[in-house]
Amino acid sequence: MSDFAFLLIKAILWVAVGVGMVPFIIYFERKFAGFFQSRMGPTYAGPWGALQSFGDMAKLLSKEDLTPDWADKPVFRLAPYILFVPGFLAMALVPFGALGKDIFGYQVDLVIADFDAGLIMFLALGSIAVYGIVFAGWASNNHWSLLGGLRQGAQMVSYELSMGLALVGVILMANSLNLSEIVQGQSGNFWNWYFIPQIVAFVIFFVASIAELNRAPFDLAEAEQELVAGHMTEYSGMRWGLFMFGEYVNMVVMSAIIATLFFGGYKAPFTFLEFVPGFIWLLAKIFFLIFMYMWIRWTLPRYRYNQLMDIGWKVFLPLAIANLAVTAIIVSVVQ
Amino acid sequence: MGLKDIIKKSAFVEIIQGMSVTGGYFVGPKVTVEYPKEHVTVWPRYRGLHALLSDPDTGRINCSGCHLCETICPSQCIYIETSEGAVDNRKHIDTFDIDLSRCIFCGFCEEVCPCAAIVMTPVHELATYDKGDFFLTKEKLLANQVNAHKELIKG
Repeated sequence: MSDFAFLLIKAILWVAVGVGMVPFIIYFERKFAGFFQSRMGPTYAGPWGALQSFGDMAKLLSKEDLTPDWADKPVFRLAPYILFVPGFLAMALVPFGALGKDIFGYQVDLVIADFDAGLIMFLALGSIAVYGIVFAGWASNNHWSLLGGLRQGAQMVSYELSMGLALVGVILMANSLNLSEIVQGQSGNFWNWYFIPQIVAFVIFFVASIAELNRAPFDLAEAEQELVAGHMTEYSGMRWGLFMFGEYVNMVVMSAIIATLFFGGYKAPFTFLEFVPGFIWLLAKIFFLIFMYMWIRWTLPRYRYNQLMDIGWKVFLPLAIANLAVTAIIVSVVQ
Repeated sequence: MGLKDIIKKSAFVEIIQGMSVTGGYFVGPKVTVEYPKEHVTVWPRYRGLHALLSDPDTGRINCSGCHLCETICPSQCIYIETSEGAVDNRKHIDTFDIDLSRCIFCGFCEEVCPCAAIVMTPVHELATYDKGDFFLTKEKLLANQVNAHKELIKG
């Protein structure tokens, strides 16, 4: 019984942290966008404008919820949820502390789902999230939406391949698909983290994750200058807000996964810093990666469509395969 | 694509250069002027709200009633009425009205005035809730001379 109670508490807490972070990440995105352009960003709502996202939320909730007459209505309404529910599910896989940790005399696993095929699960959920965008593009029955959905679908197919192959290197090194065991494989100081031996895989995964998250410079699906708002063109009010929300939830999850796979998850960078709870290290790493995503977004212009495909198929896929081969040889020789 | 290019691209040289530029702006000073809280400097030749100047010693209006400003005004927003002066052979200004809702702030009236009587001041926050406030009478224009540039007032 206590196991189930702990599971419930963990699930609620972790989801609450994820949801609670999103408005502030949106706020930081706007603030940092200002800073990168020598502006101030939002300053009025609350101290330093920190309540800006909540004001936006109130505004979006009070807006009219339009559904176009010619839309495929059930699919149109379903699409935003498909985008962010897999994100939440993937959060369950991320360990935020050691297994069997002693808390108030109970043995607690600080991960919601200690799942043997965790990475496969994550990749599967990541692929489902794409359907949200493709469905939105199709169901809106609008040229721009359809083009946006198509682009996103094509982008996803090209980048998930190299993403998955990049992960195989990590799987080989950790000899496991379980995220908790992958973190255990990185214990010790920061030079034991996988981003050093797997630097190629890390770069490929990071760039592919930008494409997967549909952020600049790979935001072809909602390229404002060409497609109005891509798959979100026909959405209004809080339904549009859900798309935004889903995008940022996916960003948190993707950062958490990258932190877990390449940056030692909840491990401290030095063994003598282990008195700080693992949860705080994980959050620090997530915020660092999110800041990198923002920095890249506000620096680089959007790639052209054929350049995007070139990078995906002609550069990342061969590199990922080469990385996999080299890792496989080294791992088999060492063991 | 030569070897040099491949090395450059695989090391993200140009992307890192670009990110260092934006990173510099991130920590650098911000150019935003938070308007209602702070204001930018208004330059001396700025053409804002009009003012009629009067002699600080005698208190007499500088305007000689020549109607040049009324004539040159492209939007015809100045209306002047004069009468034969009872004192010292000068015309008396009975009415001097400017309809700000028609004024285009071109500054011709100020340029053409032979007596430097009508001038433009740096006052530029003219928004109001009452359209009647846009109709400036001689009294309002004279009252606004406190905002005129100091070197324009004979002293």
